[in-house]
Amino acid sequence: MVDLAMFLWGWLLGAFLLGLGMGWIAVVRRGKTVSRALAQKLAALTVALIGVSLAKLLPGRFGYWLDLGLALFAFYLVGCAIGSKLRDWVVSRAAKVA
Amino acid sequence: MHGFYRWSSKWWPGVIPLALLWALAAWNSTQPLEADLAARSNQALKSTILDKTRISVAGRDVSFAAEAFSEEGRRSAVASLEATPGVRLVNDETRLVAEAKPFVWVAERDNVRVTLWGTAPLPASKARIMEAARTALSGTEVSDRMGMARGAPVRFDAAALLLVDQIAKLKEGKIVLSDTGVSLSGMARDLGGREAIAAALKNLPEGFVVVSNEVRAPPYIFQANKDPVAVTLTLSGYVPDNNSHAALAAAAGRKFGNEKIVDNLKASIGAPSGFTAAVTSALGALSRLSTGTLVVSDREIKLSGDALYEAAAGQIRAGLARELPLGWTTKPEISVKPAAAPVDATVCQQLFAQNLTKGRIRFESSSASINADSTGLLDRLVETAMRCPSTNVEIVGHTDRTGAEEFNQELSEKRAQAVADYLIKAGLPADRFTAVGYGSALPIAPNDTDEGKAQNRRIEFVVRQ
Repeated sequence: MVDLAMFLWGWLLGAFLLGLGMGWIAVVRRGKTVSRALAQKLAALTVALIGVSLAKLLPGRFGYWLDLGLALFAFYLVGCAIGSKLRDWVVSRAAKVA
Repeated sequence: MHGFYRWSSKWWPGVIPLALLWALAAWNSTQPLEADLAARSNQALKSTILDKTRISVAGRDVSFAAEAFSEEGRRSAVASLEATPGVRLVNDETRLVAEAKPFVWVAERDNVRVTLWGTAPLPASKARIMEAARTALSGTEVSDRMGMARGAPVRFDAAALLLVDQIAKLKEGKIVLSDTGVSLSGMARDLGGREAIAAALKNLPEGFVVVSNEVRAPPYIFQANKDPVAVTLTLSGYVPDNNSHAALAAAAGRKFGNEKIVDNLKASIGAPSGFTAAVTSALGALSRLSTGTLVVSDREIKLSGDALYEAAAGQIRAGLARELPLGWTTKPEISVKPAAAPVDATVCQQLFAQNLTKGRIRFESSSASINADSTGLLDRLVETAMRCPSTNVEIVGHTDRTGAEEFNQELSEKRAQAVADYLIKAGLPADRFTAVGYGSALPIAPNDTDEGKAQNRRIEFVVRQ
């Protein structure tokens, strides 16, 4: 797994940075939100896809592409979380100062 | 926590560029990843012994087809692929190499090449056998058609390597190793090769047996070539030992007084019985030919060439068959030399003198019977006499001074008559020849040495108009 991460580090970093940017924006952005019900469905879908990946159900290249997508999605989510947390921290500090 | 939940509900727009990134990553990384995994898989299998290995990678899944030489080897090859970093799944298409029953290995030699076929147990044994064959047969093409199978007898390699050395000793033939049984057939390269192979087979590894050994010895060849242009007699081939060599060289010297003898004979075992006697007779027949070749192959004598005149051709054919020891066969291919141009009496006299200077007509001791060694010379005298048909010839006999004069007188007359009879028997008219004897009355050398006496015992030809 480490070897694979080393092989794909550029793409994973890209996903992480994308997530970081999206997380940064999400804190102050006003716009459409995902409903709780949809979020749960998406989470369930993700869990199902992880299950398919771990069970190695998809053969050959499709299997690899699924793994790749899940890995990129994971790095994206981590990036989002860190980005939002950072923005939140910056925003709340600015509010205190004001 | 609540904040996280609120933020995360607004993360979704990034998923669209993420999907693009995913597509790009899939497009760009799949083939390099597959190539990298294929290289790693080959590296992982480097130390395992397999045949017909095929590896193909799709995504992170490796399809692995190969033939293994043992179940353990097969399992360990699959395991080492599964342990290769980055590999997700191994599609195991391996199987065991077929088992050969019986386990047959063959080395076959023809005039052009040595072919190794049948089966070897492992690539390493195959390589070792080929290496040994190339060393043992340097200069000969070695063709490898060996397959591989399981089920070789123990110590197969040692046995095969020993047999490779034996194929080098064959001129043509076949060695078959079927399980632990060895069969050989063909012809040995050298005289004595058959015996050498039989001796080497005693060193076969334990458990191996010689089922049949039908290796033949090469024919025992003796050749003599009479070349009238170079005036040489070339002897080549084999003689049984140094004594026969000396005896044959001496016989050739007596029978071919005219020719220079080039002796290329080699001593070797394996001569057929009666060899020396048969070859001596055959050399006598060859000495009567103007030009000819004698080939003795085992017990077959092939004599070809040109006799000096018609009657001689018949005598040579019949005589050779009569003189040969039992079990010998002869194939005479005798033609008759075209008659030489006629000459006048003076040239005729010179030709007689020349022939009788180079060689001397020999008789049995104190007897008028002509020694067989002199037939070649007599044939040349017949040929000369045929070239001057209008002349009469006086055949004059002389003896040395040993013994009583009356006896010598009579002996000289009888010897001259014997020579005249030979000429008449050859088809010349009897009235052309007169036999005269002078006993020891006209010596040409002193009679007190053996050399002088030998010179005085002579036949002379005097041409009369």
